[in-house]
Amino acid sequence: MADRRKLTGGMLLLTVLGCLLVLPPLVYVFDQPIAHFGIPQIVFYLFAVWLLLIVGTALLTRALPPAENGAEPGDGER
Amino acid sequence: MLSADFVIATAVGYVGLLFVLAYFGDRRAHANKKSFLHSPAVYTLSISVYCTSWTFYGAVGNAARSGLEFLTIYLGPTLVFVGWWFLLRRLVRISHDQRLTSVADLLSSRFGKSNRLAVLITCIAVIGIAPYIALQLKAVTSSIQAVAGASEFGRGSLTGIDDVGLAFGVAAGMALFTILFGTRHVDAKEQHHGVVAAIAFEAVVKLTALVAVGVFVVFVGGGFENLFAGAAERGITVEAQDTFDGRWLTTLGLSVAAIVCLPRQFQVTVVENSDENHLRVASWAFPAYMLLMSLFILPIAVFGLTIMPAGSNPDMFALTLPMAFGQDALALFAFIGGFSSATSMIILESIALSIMVSNHIVMPLILRLNPAGRGDGQGMTSLLLMARRFSIVLILSLGFFYFFFTRDSNALAPIGLISFTAIAQFFPAVIAALFWREASLKAATAAIAAGFVFWVWCSFLPSFESVSPQVAMLLHQGPWGISWLRPEAMFGLDNLDPLAHAAFWSILVNVLTLTLGSLLTSQSALERLQASVFVDVFKRGQVSRGNFVRGSATANDLFFVAERVLGDRRAAALFETEARDSGVDPDMLEPSPEFIGRLERELAGSIGAASAHVMLSKVLSGSDVSLEEMMQMADETQQVIEYSQQLEKTSAELRSTAQQLEDANAQLRELDSQKDEFLSQVSHEVRTPMTSIRSFSEILLDADDIDESQRQRFVGTIHQESLRLTKLLDEILDLSALERGERTWENVPVDAEAALARALTVCEALLRRHGVKVEMGERAPPTMVEGDADRLCQVFINLISNAVKYNDSDAPVIRVSSSVKAGNFVVDIADNGPGIAKGERKLIFEKFARGQRGAADQSGAGLGLAISRQIITRMSGSLDLAQGPLPGACFRVRLAVRR
Repeated sequence: MADRRKLTGGMLLLTVLGCLLVLPPLVYVFDQPIAHFGIPQIVFYLFAVWLLLIVGTALLTRALPPAENGAEPGDGER
Repeated sequence: MLSADFVIATAVGYVGLLFVLAYFGDRRAHANKKSFLHSPAVYTLSISVYCTSWTFYGAVGNAARSGLEFLTIYLGPTLVFVGWWFLLRRLVRISHDQRLTSVADLLSSRFGKSNRLAVLITCIAVIGIAPYIALQLKAVTSSIQAVAGASEFGRGSLTGIDDVGLAFGVAAGMALFTILFGTRHVDAKEQHHGVVAAIAFEAVVKLTALVAVGVFVVFVGGGFENLFAGAAERGITVEAQDTFDGRWLTTLGLSVAAIVCLPRQFQVTVVENSDENHLRVASWAFPAYMLLMSLFILPIAVFGLTIMPAGSNPDMFALTLPMAFGQDALALFAFIGGFSSATSMIILESIALSIMVSNHIVMPLILRLNPAGRGDGQGMTSLLLMARRFSIVLILSLGFFYFFFTRDSNALAPIGLISFTAIAQFFPAVIAALFWREASLKAATAAIAAGFVFWVWCSFLPSFESVSPQVAMLLHQGPWGISWLRPEAMFGLDNLDPLAHAAFWSILVNVLTLTLGSLLTSQSALERLQASVFVDVFKRGQVSRGNFVRGSATANDLFFVAERVLGDRRAAALFETEARDSGVDPDMLEPSPEFIGRLERELAGSIGAASAHVMLSKVLSGSDVSLEEMMQMADETQQVIEYSQQLEKTSAELRSTAQQLEDANAQLRELDSQKDEFLSQVSHEVRTPMTSIRSFSEILLDADDIDESQRQRFVGTIHQESLRLTKLLDEILDLSALERGERTWENVPVDAEAALARALTVCEALLRRHGVKVEMGERAPPTMVEGDADRLCQVFINLISNAVKYNDSDAPVIRVSSSVKAGNFVVDIADNGPGIAKGERKLIFEKFARGQRGAADQSGAGLGLAISRQIITRMSGSLDLAQGPLPGACFRVRLAVRR
C-alpha cells in the first residue's frame, strides 16, 4: 500500500523535522531578543513547533488505517 | 490560613479516595473488558505519570533559575511520541508477544533470557531511581512545610518535627499505600487496572490544579503582556541567551531516553497497554497534555520572581503564590495537585521496580535454593507478593536515604536529571535490542555496566558534595590527587556543564562498548533466536517462540509448576483451555511444544522471561534438551529437509521421464493406427484396379463369343489398370522410402529455374491435350538452390498436372510464375479451377487425400502432394497453399537460395 508507506514516511519526516526545529542551529534563527505581546519570540516559536508536532501527528495517525487487534499483518518493514 | 494538620488530613483523605477509585477500577476492569478503563483516554492519562512533582514544582523553579531549559524535559518525550510508529509501536508489539513485564525483562529476554543482565539492570534502576524518589519526598515535604509556614498555628502537630522526620513520615505512608495498592495479587500480564485508573484520575487533578494556578496568576498579573512587562521593569527576563547549548541538547536527549526506559513509563506505556491502537491516540494526546502542563509554567515563574520576596524558594511558587494572595482554597488545590503528581510517580515507580526486583532477583534465588519445586501451590504466589512488598519498602528507603544525605541541596530539577542520566544507560541497549540483530549479551552487559560506573563517578557521587567534605575534596582534586580523574572534569574536560559532562562520558562509553563489543563477541544460540524474534517482530512467518522440545515432562509436572506461580485457578483454567483446544480429556493432556511455549510466556508474564525459562528448564530437565542440542537437531532437520527435497527432485525427474515415455507410447500407438489406416487404404486403392482386371480377364477366359474389337478393348482396360496399379505401388514405395529416409540423395546446388522450365516442357503434351492455356508470370533469373534436379522437376510436374487434372473450367488457364523474394526462390503454380474447399486445405497434403472438386478422372492415388511435400521438405523448403492470382488453387514452393 503506497499510501500507508507514504504516511509512515511522513511520520518519519515529522519526527526528524521536530528534532531539527528544536535543536541548534535552527533554534538560533528564532532566538532573537524580540518580544511579541511582552512574551519573548523564542517562547512563541517553541510552543508553535510543539503544537505543529501535535497537530501533524494527530492528522497523520488519523489517516493511517488502524491495526487489527493483535493480528496486524506484518507491515512494519514493507 | 491553612494549617499543616488540615493539609495532611486532606492528603490522607485524597489517598483514601484514590484507594477507593483503584478498588472499583479493578472490579470494573475485571467485570467489563470494554469499560472506559480500557479506553485510549485513560491510557494517555496514565502515561502522564511522567509529569511528577518535578513538573509541578520543579519546572517552575527550573524556569525561574534557568529559563526555557525546563521545556526540553517535555519536548524529548513529544518527539518520541510523534515517532511512535517507529519505536513505541515496536516495543508494545514485542511486549505483547513476549509478555514482557519491565525494561529489565525486555533486555534480558532479547539477550538470550540472561538473568545476570536482568539483575544488573534491576540494581541500576533501583539505585538510579533513588534520587528521583527523593525528589518526590522532598517536594511533598517542602510543600507541607510551605503551607505550614513557621507559625505555631500553621505547624499544628508538626511542631518539633523537621524535614527529615516529615519526609520519613511521607515515605512510610507512601510505602504502606503502595503495598496496599499495587501488591494485592499477582497478575498474569502485570497489568494493574485499578492503579492505572487512580493514576489517570491523578493526572486530571494535577493538570487542573496547575492550570488553575496558572490562570489565577495570569489573571492577577493582568494578562500575559502586563505580567511579562511588569517583570521586565524589575529586570526579570526569560533567560534565552545561552539556553541552546550543550545542556539543552543533553536534557533533550536524556528525556527522550527517560520516556522509554524509566521503569514506570515502561510499565504504563508498554506493559499496561491493552490495545496497540491506544498508542495512536496517545501519540498526539500525551504531547498535548504536556503542552497544557507547561503552558503556565513560565508565567508562574516570572510572576513569582516579580512579586515574591527575594530568597523564597522558586520551586514552591505554584503553592506560595496563591497563599500570598490569600487564596487558601486554590493553595490547597495546588497542594493536592502537587501531592497527586508525587504520589502517582511513587506508586507506579515502586510497583514497577518491585516487579523487577521480585522477578529478576528474588525469584531466581528461590529457584536456585529450592530447585525441586517443593511447597504448595499458593506458596510461590504469596512469596512473590512478599518479595514485592519488601522491595517497595527497600526502594522508598533508598529514596529516603538519598533525601537524607542531600537534603541541603535546593533545587528539584537537578536531582531528577541525575536519575535520568542513570536510566538513560539502558537506552542504547534498548535501541540495539529492537533494531540491531548483532547486538550481543556480553556487549550489552558490559556497556550498561560501564555506563553505570561513569554515572556513579560523574553524576551520582558529586551530588553528595554538600554533605561530605571527602566528596568535595575528590571533586576538586581527583582521587589520590589524579586531576584527570576528577568526577566533573574527566580527562581534563572541564569546560562542560556537569550534567552534560556526565551524560556525555557515560553514554559515549556505553555506546562504544555496546557497538565494539557486539562486533567482537559472538551470540549464543538462544540470543540469535531472540534477536530475530525481536528485530523481525513485524515480519510474517514468526520464528517459533518455544525453545523447548517435548520431553518426558508430563502435563502433571507442568501443572505443578504453573500452579506454584499462577495460582490454582489460573493454572487450571490454562490447562483446561489447552485440553479443550486439542480436544482431549484434561487428564490425558500431552504437553505440546507450543503449549510449553505458551506456558513459558504466561509464566514470564508473572516472573519474567529469564526466571520462567529457568523454571521450565528445571521441570523439563532429564528430558531437557539444551539449546545447542536443539540447534544441532535443527541442523539435522535441515539436512533431512534437504535430503527430502533432493528425493522430491529425483522423483519429479522420474515423473517427467515417465511422462515422456507415455507420450512416446501414445505416439507409437498413433503411428501404429496410422499404419493400419494406411494399409487399409492401400488395400482399398489396390483392390479397385485388381477387381476390374479380374473381372475383365474372367470375361475373356469364359466367353468365346467376344468379337475381336471388344476383346481388344478389354485387354486395353486390363493393361491400363495394371499400369495404374504399378504406378500406385511405385508411388507407395517411393513415399514410404522417403518417409523412412531410405531414399536419400545428396543435396547439391541445382538451378531451380531450369528445373521448372524442364517440367513445363515435359508437361507440354498434357497441357495441349487438355487445351490448357499457360500464362507465364514473372520469371526469376537462373537461381541456384540446394536440392536434386530430377526430384525438383518431379514436384513441378506433379503440381502442373494437378492443376490440369482438377480444372473443370471451360477455358482452363494455369499461371506459372517464379521469383526470388527475401532470399527464397518462390514458384507459384495457380489455376482457374474450382479451388480447394476450406475443409480440405489441411487434408490435401495427407496420403490418399484427393480433391473432391473438379476432378474429371479420379485416377490418381492421392499420393502426389504427399510425396511432393516430402521431397521439398528434404530440400529444406516448403510446399503450401497460397492466395493465388487466379480464382482456383495456387500452390507455392519455397526454397532457400544458395549463397
